[in-house]
Amino acid sequence: MVMTDQKQRLEEARKPGFGFGLLKGMAVLLKHLFKRTTTIQYPDEKQDLSPRTRGVIALKEENCTVCMLCARECPDWCIYIDSHKETLPPKREGGRQRKRNVLDRFAIDYALCMYCGICVEVCPYDALFWSREFEYAEYDIRELTHEKERLSDWMESVLPPPPLEIGADVPDEPTPAAAQTTTAAAGARPATQTSSATAARPAQAAAAPKAPTAAPTPARPKESEPGVAAERGAVAKAESPPEASAAQPAPVDQAPATTPVEEREGAPPKEVTEEAAKEAGIGDVQAATTQVPNVEVPHEAPRPVALEPVEDPEAVYQQVLDDQRRKGSSPQVAEARAKVARVKAERGIRRGPTPVEVDKPVPSAPTKAEQAGAPVEPTPSGAPKAEEPAPEQGPVAARPEEAAAAPQEAGAAHPETTEVSPSSGEGAEDPEAIYERVLAEERAKGSSEPVATARAKAARMRAMKGTKGPGS
Amino acid sequence: MPDINLTDWQILLVKLAIILTVVPIGALAGGYVLHKEMAHMQHRLGPMYAGGFHGWAQTLADGIKFIYKEDIIPAAADKRVFTLAPAIVFAPVLMLYLVIPIDRSLIIEDLDVGLFYLIAIGSVGVIGVLMAGWSSANKYALIGGLRAAAQLIAYELPIVLASAAIAMLAGTLSVVGIVEAQDWPFLVWPPGIGLALFVVFLAGAMAEMSLPPFDMPVAESELITGPFTEYSGMRFIFGFFFAEMAHMIAFAAIGATLFLGGYKPIVPWEPLENIPGVVWFFVKTAFMVFLLLWIRFTFPRLREDQLQKFAWKFLIPVSLALILVTGGWVLYA
Repeated sequence: MVMTDQKQRLEEARKPGFGFGLLKGMAVLLKHLFKRTTTIQYPDEKQDLSPRTRGVIALKEENCTVCMLCARECPDWCIYIDSHKETLPPKREGGRQRKRNVLDRFAIDYALCMYCGICVEVCPYDALFWSREFEYAEYDIRELTHEKERLSDWMESVLPPPPLEIGADVPDEPTPAAAQTTTAAAGARPATQTSSATAARPAQAAAAPKAPTAAPTPARPKESEPGVAAERGAVAKAESPPEASAAQPAPVDQAPATTPVEEREGAPPKEVTEEAAKEAGIGDVQAATTQVPNVEVPHEAPRPVALEPVEDPEAVYQQVLDDQRRKGSSPQVAEARAKVARVKAERGIRRGPTPVEVDKPVPSAPTKAEQAGAPVEPTPSGAPKAEEPAPEQGPVAARPEEAAAAPQEAGAAHPETTEVSPSSGEGAEDPEAIYERVLAEERAKGSSEPVATARAKAARMRAMKGTKGPGS
Repeated sequence: MPDINLTDWQILLVKLAIILTVVPIGALAGGYVLHKEMAHMQHRLGPMYAGGFHGWAQTLADGIKFIYKEDIIPAAADKRVFTLAPAIVFAPVLMLYLVIPIDRSLIIEDLDVGLFYLIAIGSVGVIGVLMAGWSSANKYALIGGLRAAAQLIAYELPIVLASAAIAMLAGTLSVVGIVEAQDWPFLVWPPGIGLALFVVFLAGAMAEMSLPPFDMPVAESELITGPFTEYSGMRFIFGFFFAEMAHMIAFAAIGATLFLGGYKPIVPWEPLENIPGVVWFFVKTAFMVFLLLWIRFTFPRLREDQLQKFAWKFLIPVSLALILVTGGWVLYA
């Protein structure tokens, strides 16, 4: 169609006869000869540039933390940053000395700059801005390297940021609430402030593992609450447990959120919860009760039951704190250790009902899990899952221990589960189970994630082929 | 008119002086018109600063700049031929002006074979171009020179044939005689024939001057500046830019003379006779310059083979047919 249309049009254009196209072309030029010129005689008259024209890059010196992101991202390497470290006295007596970067030099060589604006984009602290000034030509190329004083001068012409669009997310500015949360982290926590921010926690604690699959919505928005978001740090993390245990509203809230996952996965959330409970210090008592093939029980949502006897992380916190104080540790150290303990306790809870298959790249995982008698996999997988949220959750140092703890429990859980579902056998027969086990082991050993995955895959492959690996 | 008695030598000197002032001024003015017309056709302003008023002195400033530039002769060049070439390009262009009648009596030399002389002299320039291309020891220059030669051979014929038809209509080869023969300009009378001859002549002239639709010899995207790639400074400006401008104005004047009635009014009407012939001549020449530039800015450059095809397969047969038709007209009308 298009082609024929074009052809038709061409033919029509040719109709008047040979050579008339040439005349037409000349007519066009003649017409344009008498139109107004669009030239702007620059130095004499100036164009009305749009207000946010990208002319020159301005530096807001106070905002710069010398993170070097701009200098590293600059394709032309035209940003020069020098700094030195400054040691600040500790905030409290006996505290650690703080270090701070002080900007000595910040220069942009505009003779090199290609005005890509990547530095402005990449600056995480709003220290670089586009200014609409553009007339800074020089007779000497060296003058084109603007030092921070000159770059700061450009700030005068930087417009305030445009208003947010309607419906846009409110940016994560540190709010008073957040500030209080921070202080609360030190020890005494005003429940009123933290509650809003951390109320999400208990729910999240139980539901977090599921978030990626079934119930991302309930957990997510709360997470992004200003207070929490701002306080993503390890310290803030530790606060959730008190409410988690105290509020304990989970039974009601979580049931709906979790059930679909269970149904779909056919995985035993209960077991994992229970395992978590164990880790947190509860006996096997619960384990016995909860050990039921999960496929049957999805709607009961008894997780909270499992959680109930869990030692309150806050209590743990307090206990460790007291212990430490008694031992004569400095307040900071005591607090830190107490926090670690609390985080562990809390993590134990949160490790809850995670069927790892959810995230597994192996597509066949869920079905296999069902065939193999679900319990086998989830147990070891509980550990890896717990690591997913870990990075944002807190002190990395806590991780290996925890990871180490997990597989042991996994091991402990194993015999029982195997009994329940004999089809899974030793788990050795099922490549999927082997995969999970090796993965968990590797993680426990502290292997890096890629290595762990690779070894697990290798083990699975061996199991599939029926060959013996080096380790076995 | 006061009676001034001058010897032949004195007369010759005056004539030379006139040519040597008129031609450069004309070329500079032509360059200015080129800049301005092109700019405005593209919604630009063109030169605006040199000289103060709309950049009138731009081409003059350019010329002075080129005079001060270094004159470089490549080591591998054939030095004598290389240095001589621009002169051979430029001299015939100057000589074209000898037989152009600005007014009935204002002509430097009213040759009886004026038209023949114009065509003959007009083709000499290409020898200079070929010399420049050959002596530069540069492949682009050589290709450009050869293209120029091939182009001249191809387009000389339509010009000659169209001019022959004009001579048939006028019954003379004298340029003044041709002008006198045009009661109505040849462009409109004989109807159709004159117009067709004009188009053929225009195409041939533009090709001979290597003006843009036919500027393959200097096609800058392929050949840098063709035969003048290795030239710089004065030689470049005289051999290339200046000669091109002077050549264009000369051909505009020739076209005005042959087809637009030269110094005679555009239509044979009594009141118009009062306007001096010089004015008519300059108006017509200016129109021709405008037309040549207009065509030049409109059309994209042809390919070398298209150029040759256009000449041999279209223009030459058409001009031969036109001679036939003109002969018929002269005999029976």
